[in-house]
Amino acid sequence: MDAMETQELKDRLALIEQMMHAGRRSTESWGWTFVLWGVAYFIAIGWSALGAAMYAWPVTMTAAGIVTGVVLARRKHKPNTTMSRAMGGIWIALGVSMMTAFPALGISGRLLDPHIFITMACAMLGMANGAAGIVLKWRLQIASACVWWVAGVVACFGSETQALVVFMVAIFFCQIVFGIVCMMAEAKGKKGGSYA
Amino acid sequence: MPELPELNPVVHGKLRLALLSLLSTVDEAEFTWLRGQTGSTDGNLGAQLMKLEEAGYVAVEKKFVQRKPQTLYRMTTEGRAALTEYVQALKQLLGAAIQG
Repeated sequence: MDAMETQELKDRLALIEQMMHAGRRSTESWGWTFVLWGVAYFIAIGWSALGAAMYAWPVTMTAAGIVTGVVLARRKHKPNTTMSRAMGGIWIALGVSMMTAFPALGISGRLLDPHIFITMACAMLGMANGAAGIVLKWRLQIASACVWWVAGVVACFGSETQALVVFMVAIFFCQIVFGIVCMMAEAKGKKGGSYA
Repeated sequence: MPELPELNPVVHGKLRLALLSLLSTVDEAEFTWLRGQTGSTDGNLGAQLMKLEEAGYVAVEKKFVQRKPQTLYRMTTEGRAALTEYVQALKQLLGAAIQG
């Protein structure tokens, strides 16, 4: 076998790896959801501070859920992979947990202490990010989970204002900054090539 | 000296190999997605997918989503086995080339 044939075989092997990587990567474009939900949390916090705490969270979260659903439904068909299903499962389970536990606690009148709300939200978000980070072997997302967990613990101590500040700092870094980093990585990864 | 394996000519084609590699990572894929990933033309892509379908490596499903036609492709068990065998043969040939 001459050098040219050997190079051709190496090219074929590289093509297989490149295409498999491209196939897996193409389903990963979720950065915008982190930013959207981060902004939604800030709107809900701000609205609550204006005195409409009763409606701020349910309305904002429902609106963010509708926006997410509409954008996903309008997106071009993207193929499912085992990984994308695993990721989807984690975030859907988080959404269902939050959308059932918090309204139930609120309606029953047992969500009187904001420390409990913040700690529970941080713990749930930490769990989802931790699980996703471990599955994806992504240190940045595991670090994000750690920030949520630490924020959840810290929020238990100190005043309500201090707990809220800790929550907002965690939202800023783990939702807004993390989401922007994801979006930048996704944009960087979308490079084309022709195999025609 | 052990006999070197033959490379499956259906899998060996550059675009067909790219398509099989892509389809091995997903449950099913739309024609337009495959076109976007490979950067190939409609005609060439359709022809290569037909060859893979004739070989039994790819299964096709045509349906309508919101009144728009959608063509979905998925890799068959035979296709997955052929790609696995191809990769093994490729590695064996490369190993022989490095040793030789």
